Amino acid sequence: MKKFLLATSMLIATAFGADAKTINILMEGVPDTRYVQEMLPEFKEKTGIDVQLEVVNYAEMHTKLVPQLVSPEGSYDVLIVDFYWVGEFIKAGWLQPLDERIAADGIDTNRYIPSIMNLTGKVDGVTYMLPFYNYAMGLTYRTDLLADPKHQEAFKAKYGRDLKVPTEWQEYLDQVKYFTEDAGIEGFKGVVNQGLRPDPIAMEWSNYLFARGGRYYDPETWQPTLATPEGIQALVDYRDNIQKYGPIGAANFSFDDAFNVAAQGKAYSYLTFNMFRPVYDDPASSQVVGKMEITPVPGGSLNGSWGWAIPTSSPDADAAWEFIKFIESPEIAKKRAALGGAATQAAIFDDPDLIAKYSYYPQLKQLLQTSHNFPVFTYTPQFVEVLGRELSLAVTDGKDPKEALETVDREFAEMLRKDGKLQ
Amino acid sequence: MRRVIRRLVPHLVLVPFSLAIVLPLLWLLRVSLTDRRTAYQIPPQWTEPHLGNYIEIFTAYPFATWFSNSFTVALFSTLVALPLATMVAFSFARYNTGGAPLRLSILASQMLPPIVMVLPLFAVFLGIGLLNSRAALVIAHVGMNLPFLAWMLIAFFEGEVRQLEEAARIEGATRFQAFWKVAVPVAAPGLLAAGLLAFIMSWNEFLFALILSGKRTATLPVGLSTLDTHRGVEIALLAAANMVAILPVFLLMPFLRRYLIKGLSLGALK
Amino acid sequence: MTAIERRDQRFGLLMSAPGLLALMLVVLFPVFFTLWTSTSDFTLLKPSNDAFVGLAHYARAFQSNEFLHALSVTLWFVLAVVLLEFLIGFAAALALDKVEHGKTFYYVVLLFPLLMNPVVVGLIWRMFLHPTLGIVNYLLSLANLGPVDWLGNPANAFWTVVLVDIWHQVSFMVVLLLAGLSALPKEPYEAARLEGAGTLRCFFWLTLPLMRPVIVVTLLIRLIFAVKTYDIVYIMTRGGPGQATDLVSYFIYRQAFVGLDISQASAMAVILLMAVLLLTAWLHRYMRSLAA
Repeated sequence: MKKFLLATSMLIATAFGADAKTINILMEGVPDTRYVQEMLPEFKEKTGIDVQLEVVNYAEMHTKLVPQLVSPEGSYDVLIVDFYWVGEFIKAGWLQPLDERIAADGIDTNRYIPSIMNLTGKVDGVTYMLPFYNYAMGLTYRTDLLADPKHQEAFKAKYGRDLKVPTEWQEYLDQVKYFTEDAGIEGFKGVVNQGLRPDPIAMEWSNYLFARGGRYYDPETWQPTLATPEGIQALVDYRDNIQKYGPIGAANFSFDDAFNVAAQGKAYSYLTFNMFRPVYDDPASSQVVGKMEITPVPGGSLNGSWGWAIPTSSPDADAAWEFIKFIESPEIAKKRAALGGAATQAAIFDDPDLIAKYSYYPQLKQLLQTSHNFPVFTYTPQFVEVLGRELSLAVTDGKDPKEALETVDREFAEMLRKDGKLQ
Repeated sequence: MRRVIRRLVPHLVLVPFSLAIVLPLLWLLRVSLTDRRTAYQIPPQWTEPHLGNYIEIFTAYPFATWFSNSFTVALFSTLVALPLATMVAFSFARYNTGGAPLRLSILASQMLPPIVMVLPLFAVFLGIGLLNSRAALVIAHVGMNLPFLAWMLIAFFEGEVRQLEEAARIEGATRFQAFWKVAVPVAAPGLLAAGLLAFIMSWNEFLFALILSGKRTATLPVGLSTLDTHRGVEIALLAAANMVAILPVFLLMPFLRRYLIKGLSLGALK
Repeated sequence: MTAIERRDQRFGLLMSAPGLLALMLVVLFPVFFTLWTSTSDFTLLKPSNDAFVGLAHYARAFQSNEFLHALSVTLWFVLAVVLLEFLIGFAAALALDKVEHGKTFYYVVLLFPLLMNPVVVGLIWRMFLHPTLGIVNYLLSLANLGPVDWLGNPANAFWTVVLVDIWHQVSFMVVLLLAGLSALPKEPYEAARLEGAGTLRCFFWLTLPLMRPVIVVTLLIRLIFAVKTYDIVYIMTRGGPGQATDLVSYFIYRQAFVGLDISQASAMAVILLMAVLLLTAWLHRYMRSLAA
């Protein structure tokens, strides 16, 4: 027995090494995680710290994290935080402020695109995160069809304007109508939407809201402003796109369902997360290689991003910071971007090597700079839930758009009051 | 003629039933041999099948680890839960231990949606230092499977078995002998079926596996769900992984065959 | 109580003790924690059970239209899947019990869906049922049917989810019912055959009554699992479109981990538990009274 114990403890000692540190990170199963993985040998060489990435599905990440964060000492040294959870995590006191560490190491947070730093970086003047990757939304559309003289003529004849990359919302809606009704391509639609509850529909509709000039709330008072003419019109646009101009079933499409429709060449446009842009050019996933491009949604896209953070329950906060510093250093950030990562630092989008590789970087930078943020507060996920439910009811169940948005406003206000934002 | 028809009737039920299961699986098999682009192509196009997805799940993902974790946890939790449940069921059925209230409260522990048990369960396993271990999952799955196993088996210990067992007692068998030598063999089909279902419940269990496991102890359900990513569902990989994940049927075959073909009956015992 | 009865009782306790003990260790604490939490104010932002609020969360649950709606959707869902799966499953089990050739083959086939993870089942059926890119609508179009909007409108989505659940879970019934059938005694059938009873007579006079305990348990257990159905809806519809498939387990999940209100979720879970418990107790008694 003694021998056995000795042998086991020696095994453990060799496995972990007396001075070899290990940090654990919970990540989501996305390509960006794989690019982080590829940087780990370099980090280990530099610092001797071993990094273990545990990968789970996005939807389950929050469920997995919460028990860890509630307990005094968790298993994870570093976290990645979706902008959804920022309000909640900070209110609950689960994240460590990073300002002292940032100052001590002289890190310039201005290198991040401001809208992203505001989303998953600073909260009320305190820096809790460094942005990891972005998933702002954009309008993806078929370049080959826009360039087709046949369509250019027909479109001009009917709508009295040139067929080109849309820069105005009405122009885009006309194009959607044209490609569904007038273009004469069988089984082809002007748009495909992601109408699944709650986040796909809520995120997508946000772009419609911004395009119509609507806002979620009054920035001064936090008073909800969805049941306004702009908001109602945005919902009518959205309902029309799904019911009249989109493929059947779009009212329950996840972003995967919708993307596949676009990637199979069955829709002119799809308003989606910009990280889908490179997937169109992947011949294993797409029939429209080289035919899709991305542009900001006229009126402004919806922003989205993840940030690196150190949880209060982190077993080794110093090693955690070493890792964040490394993985977000401009040099490593560029390497990750070169592999296909969705960058958050402004300089990357101006890098000539990267532009040569990813021709859409200039559009992407413009998109990120002009994008709008979703309301971030303690109950953001619950708000998305309510918004998604009401939008879906308006699109599929005949609920009056005004009534639906009034319900959202009411419940939104209730949550804001509970959070102390709205008086 | 009548006899031929009698023989055919079961097939008339079973063939459509099996087709409803097999056809989707065959289509899935086809998906596992293509890529995402081809998988969604309508009308379907036949391309050269390739095994890349099967290679990728083993090389780019720790599929073998997921699989062996799931198998170990399912096997051990069943091996622990089944005997315990058999004894509970027998004493309930034969000696009415605890009466109806105890029976119902055992089942009641199964009626809470597992999500509300996540936090306390996590706290328990954190407290006893078993977090991120397969042992934790085995224990949790035993707790999850015991109640429904016990209930299933009560049904198999009631009725005919009782008379046989009483007869054995009169002939001088002890209570335990009557249980072990008479009741258990007679209820064997039920025991095997219950064990099989317990294995499957554990094999598919997701929530406890998610919160109690760590990187090295993740099970198949937790692992497979990572193929549903923020950048879309890796449908071809998922199909390949699924085709491998249903293979344990063949590992269970020796046990099943025995019970299916021989099916111990009361007649055989007398 | 005679000495023998007392010894019987002791033996029963002894036999069930290990199992009951194991159950207490794993399940009892979480169950009591849930009960306790449902009467306090435990949120993820302030995770403590210090504040006692009595039955406030229960009152709020009954005032929530969405919760009541989810309960009613769940009731219909459970009725639909349990009854349909029982009918199909019993037919398959009877056929499998009688069949002389290919028994093992059929049995293996029916086990396949059971070994598939619900998440995977949901994802692959989403793909098969994709209105424009799915194989199902394509095959229908070859027969000049469709296209069917399987999940995109509230009326269809409910039944689509029911169908997928049947595909996945019907074998659960078959496995249990078949075990019940193979444990049936042979003598009564031989006797009945001698008296000239036909297949149908045998079924109604012998099989059904003899199978009653197994049938009751199969229905009860499937019912309890069906109430907890969550993954399929989560993957396929997220409770939508509109609120057509908002099953109560998914609703409670959201209350806890989206709404962050563990206490409210616990109260709803306890209400659900009570409802299912009453239903179970009643069913149990009713079925036993039939037997007597």
